[in-house]
Amino acid sequence: MVDAFAYVPAIVLLPFFSFLVALGGGKYLPKGGAFGGIAATAGSFVLSIWVAVTVLGGRTYNETLYTWAGGEQFELTFGLLIDPLSALMLVIVTLIALLVHVFSLGYMNDEGETGLPRYYAGLGLFTASMLGFVVADNLLMAFMFFELVGLCSYLLIGFHFRQEGPPSAAKKAFLVTRFGDYFFLIGVVAVFATFGTAQFAGDGSFPVLAEQALNGEFDAWTPLGLDVGTWFTLVGLLVLGGVVGKSAQFPLHTWLPDAMEGPTPVSALIHAATMVAAGVYLVARMFGFYALTPTTLAIIAFIGGFTALFAATMGVVKEELKQVLAYSTISQYGYMMLALGAGSYVAATFHLMTHAFFKALLFLGAGSVIIAMHHNENMWDMGGLKDKMPVTYATFLAGSLALAGIFPFSGFWSKDEILYEAFIHGLNEPLLLGGWIMGLLAVPVTAFYTFRMVFLTFHGEPRSALARDPEPVRWNVKGPLSVLGVLAVVAGFVNMVPVQKLLGVEGIDLLSQWLDNEFGGIEGVGYSAYNDLLATYAGYEAGTIAGSEEITLIVAAGLGLGLAVLGLLVAWLLYRAPEPTEHTEKLGGAKDVLYNNYYQDEFQVWLAYRTEDVAGGANVFDQGVIDGVVNGISSVSLAGGERVRRIQTGLVTHYAAMLTLGLVALIVVLGVTGGWF
Amino acid sequence: MVPVEWYLILASAVFCIGLFGVLTRRDALYFLMSVELMMNAANINLVAFALYYGDLTGQVFALFVIALAAAEVAIGIGIILVLYRNFGETDVTVPTEMRW
Repeated sequence: MVDAFAYVPAIVLLPFFSFLVALGGGKYLPKGGAFGGIAATAGSFVLSIWVAVTVLGGRTYNETLYTWAGGEQFELTFGLLIDPLSALMLVIVTLIALLVHVFSLGYMNDEGETGLPRYYAGLGLFTASMLGFVVADNLLMAFMFFELVGLCSYLLIGFHFRQEGPPSAAKKAFLVTRFGDYFFLIGVVAVFATFGTAQFAGDGSFPVLAEQALNGEFDAWTPLGLDVGTWFTLVGLLVLGGVVGKSAQFPLHTWLPDAMEGPTPVSALIHAATMVAAGVYLVARMFGFYALTPTTLAIIAFIGGFTALFAATMGVVKEELKQVLAYSTISQYGYMMLALGAGSYVAATFHLMTHAFFKALLFLGAGSVIIAMHHNENMWDMGGLKDKMPVTYATFLAGSLALAGIFPFSGFWSKDEILYEAFIHGLNEPLLLGGWIMGLLAVPVTAFYTFRMVFLTFHGEPRSALARDPEPVRWNVKGPLSVLGVLAVVAGFVNMVPVQKLLGVEGIDLLSQWLDNEFGGIEGVGYSAYNDLLATYAGYEAGTIAGSEEITLIVAAGLGLGLAVLGLLVAWLLYRAPEPTEHTEKLGGAKDVLYNNYYQDEFQVWLAYRTEDVAGGANVFDQGVIDGVVNGISSVSLAGGERVRRIQTGLVTHYAAMLTLGLVALIVVLGVTGGWF
Repeated sequence: MVPVEWYLILASAVFCIGLFGVLTRRDALYFLMSVELMMNAANINLVAFALYYGDLTGQVFALFVIALAAAEVAIGIGIILVLYRNFGETDVTVPTEMRW
């Protein structure tokens, strides 16, 4: 029996090879190297399925493969960690990457874009970096691939570099996420300094050592004599900086809407499976550490809940299809953070999965509409597309129902579980309850903007010549849409916890069992292990209302679903007309605030200018002191050389004299030290 | 038997004469001869010590030094020839191009 785990490196390397092939020989290949990318991601997908099946068989893998720097105190290594969480993520990422590659044939090749080798090279490297991040077994390796993901997003968002918008959006995405990554880097160093290791799982991994340190069994290093608990909270918050940047949480969310300047398949890849998912995945990966620090968890939950509501309100007034989707992404990742903060590792992973499917679907659907509309993205120019593009409409509708959280589409199950978990834990913890309330308020807003988008795009009368005669799309667009459409409908059925609890049907919470190591997993990395940690160290306990779990469940689910339907109905009333009118004007001043994203961009630019004095001082210090020292040393040696070279007279006699003097000096020194005199 | 000190005094005298020649003369041919003197001073030392210790190694080394001196003269004469061809004389203070 060949071991599936031996092929895990191939999952990462295949897309990397497609990157090399597209970069080196894309010009000479048909379709600009697209087939190489499709073959590579398909290969990775098949291998990922195999790995997942192996994990299902009860085996896991946690090995260090290569030590690239070692020292007395710690070693820097590359390794693989395959457990239920990473196996699931591998399948999701490779599947979405494969579908995005196929879709790109329709969106990029058929539209006659130039620079395709560069595009496919970028996609390949993006996928490879994300896969490397997913299988990473230590924080430093994860950080390296995290940075690579950021680099690839820069390359792909700025794909149309000759236009004005994309390069600027690419720079913004790079700098804003990098701002978060600074904190992450300090966090990585702090983890090394504290524990001497950055392994995620197994004996001697840092979450385990952290637990021992809290029990006084392990002597962890802390700066300034800080209490270990406080220090762990600080380390958790530092790493969280990178997560907030990459997962576009408030206040570092501003890069994501601008990133819509990239080609639409890239947006699908960024939002569904790679870059933005990386942040949430990182928290889930080191959840054993976060579970020990209740303050960090509460902050995560609060940021998540706030971002969910905050971003959803901005989505309400946007006019461009992809902008609405961009804000919905920020909002949905807010939900995942809320789930993680509420201690529900499973709900977050579940929503990460369902969101990957329905958001990739919505972005690819939007891409299909954009092809049909000849790259006009304004929803007010669309309308009536449902009869002309039935496949796109049906799948887009499925994705929208999932996003809005309507029963029984996939988004309903995951969002319901998040809100339920946030609610029951929030009953004992005010910050969590705050997060829950904001998350709940975001539900009707989400449903509203989603269906405003659907009605404006697909219903009513066509509002422009383009919408009356859309360009047809081919199989390479419809194929990926259909696959994702089916997944968006059924993916929720893998974890029907509420149904199980209400009706007592056993065995329909597959994902919970999977993440709870019921099919095998790594000791201490799993749902119940985390729950024990949460109960012991964070004091999390589930509350109920009226003392009954069933009533709590029905109230929470009913509230969520009722509000979602309410939002949908409002959208129906306002925008389900043959000639819908813009109702956003009625919001008055609030509309301007929302339309301008709460002036967050302006605020951040203002803030950046306030740092001018500090930056100027640093510049003076750099130019004057640092460069001064370097330049000083070089001019001293330059001037010294200028003087010393005068010895070289060119006269043989002088050289002979110098030799003689040297000999005499040598004899004198030998004589003095040797005691001849 | 002559004590070894006498040989050493002789060798130092010959060496110093050679060194004096190298440092003061301007003609390249004198250089060559002076260097020859210094080498022979070393040879005297080698042979003297070989006699003193009753060990033949010193004499063997002296033979090597003689062979070396022959080779050195061949190269030295070659250099002097080139010098003469380029500058029309063998004064070493004239060619001073090889400097800073």
